[in-house]
Amino acid sequence: MGTWEIGEIRFPLSEAFYISVQNVRRRFARVAITTASVTLGIAFFVSLMMMASFQAQAGGAGIQPYMYWLLFISLLVCGVGITNSMLIAVAERYKEIGTYKCLGALDRHILELFLIEALLIGGIGGFTGYVAGLIAALVYAVANPAVGMANALKALAAPNPAVPLVGVMPVALGLLLLGVGIAVFLSLAATLYPAYYAARLNPADALRYEV
Amino acid sequence: MALRYEYTVETEDLAKYYRMGNYIVKALDGVNLKIRRGEYVSIMGPSGAGKTTLFNMIGGLDRPTRGKVYIDEVDISKLDAYELAWLRARKIGYIFQTFNLIPVLTALENVMLPMIFAGVRREERIRKARELLERVGLGDMLYHSPTELSGGQQQRVAIARALANDPAIVLADEPTGNLDLQTGLEIINLLRQLNKERGVTIVTATHDLKMIDVSDRIVYLRDGKVERIETRAEIAVEAEEY
Repeated sequence: MGTWEIGEIRFPLSEAFYISVQNVRRRFARVAITTASVTLGIAFFVSLMMMASFQAQAGGAGIQPYMYWLLFISLLVCGVGITNSMLIAVAERYKEIGTYKCLGALDRHILELFLIEALLIGGIGGFTGYVAGLIAALVYAVANPAVGMANALKALAAPNPAVPLVGVMPVALGLLLLGVGIAVFLSLAATLYPAYYAARLNPADALRYEV
Repeated sequence: MALRYEYTVETEDLAKYYRMGNYIVKALDGVNLKIRRGEYVSIMGPSGAGKTTLFNMIGGLDRPTRGKVYIDEVDISKLDAYELAWLRARKIGYIFQTFNLIPVLTALENVMLPMIFAGVRREERIRKARELLERVGLGDMLYHSPTELSGGQQQRVAIARALANDPAIVLADEPTGNLDLQTGLEIINLLRQLNKERGVTIVTATHDLKMIDVSDRIVYLRDGKVERIETRAEIAVEAEEY
């Protein structure tokens, strides 16, 4: 039936990455809000684990079982926050998604753009959260004579088996990896559904959205 | 690719129905249309006549309820998602009332975007995007972002982008709808010049009467059906009679 050949569609990862970085840079206010919710969640997680490790080093009680529950709830709240802002971020870009499709994008290319963006937000939010948590924990150590800076630094350099998943690593490194890991996971998980829904929209429907 | 097709677009008994609660809206109801290669055709009609729906069907943006659409003699209702994406990238250029540039990319990057999907080499993408932007009169605004451009300038970028992959057809949905009279006129003239220069078929859905002067044919749609088709010669005769 066809009288012309269908060729290939391409969208190299480097191009997708470039556009996602532009999206993060140019929509800074929106991204900052999403990133802040990641940062707060991770900062809470990191500071709590560090403070408990410092206490243990100073001969105190260390990580208590109820803290895991506290962490779980805080990360859950953080996840809901990210999902909420990602839903809006995707919804306000329906028309743009329709445009990409008009220019030749496949569903998976749209998905790629949003997931790379989520990766960036998770990575940045996780790292800033770690730094904020570290600072908070150190302030706590200095302000609390029973702990002190010396104990804090010793605790950071030594492994604490009570820290989940990364108990074998020095606390400072383990919490960095775990914090960024959790942030990226939460961010990806929260973006997956809205991005998948958006990517599957028929271009005519996507273009019709007026925001 | 030296093959020449007489008709760029052909529709056969094309229909699109939407369900609205309990009743069915017939946005298009049996449209038969043949558009020759290199023609400039305007689709006119009141709001709700089915112009945008026809635009979506010809552009492979939505599937018809009934009937067929041929682009360069291939029935596009039989294409799968991948093939449709290729068709949109290579065979069709789109221009919208609201310009629809990607806001986070520069003018140059917007024009390069369809060439990325088509697999054009980077140097070639830059060369061609620059050339097209110069052609539409924006040679000194390559690195401006859409927010720094006026409506008319944004539409020029959109026109350059639509032509990036040398499509067989450019579809323009109300291209002057968001522009003032003078800017609208400039855009219409630019489209006509590009149509002559490059031999690209242009189909515009519009209710802008300025479009009549440059169109080879005007298709009047009403209630999802073709009411009548006029050629420019006929319009000129009519004008003389009054």
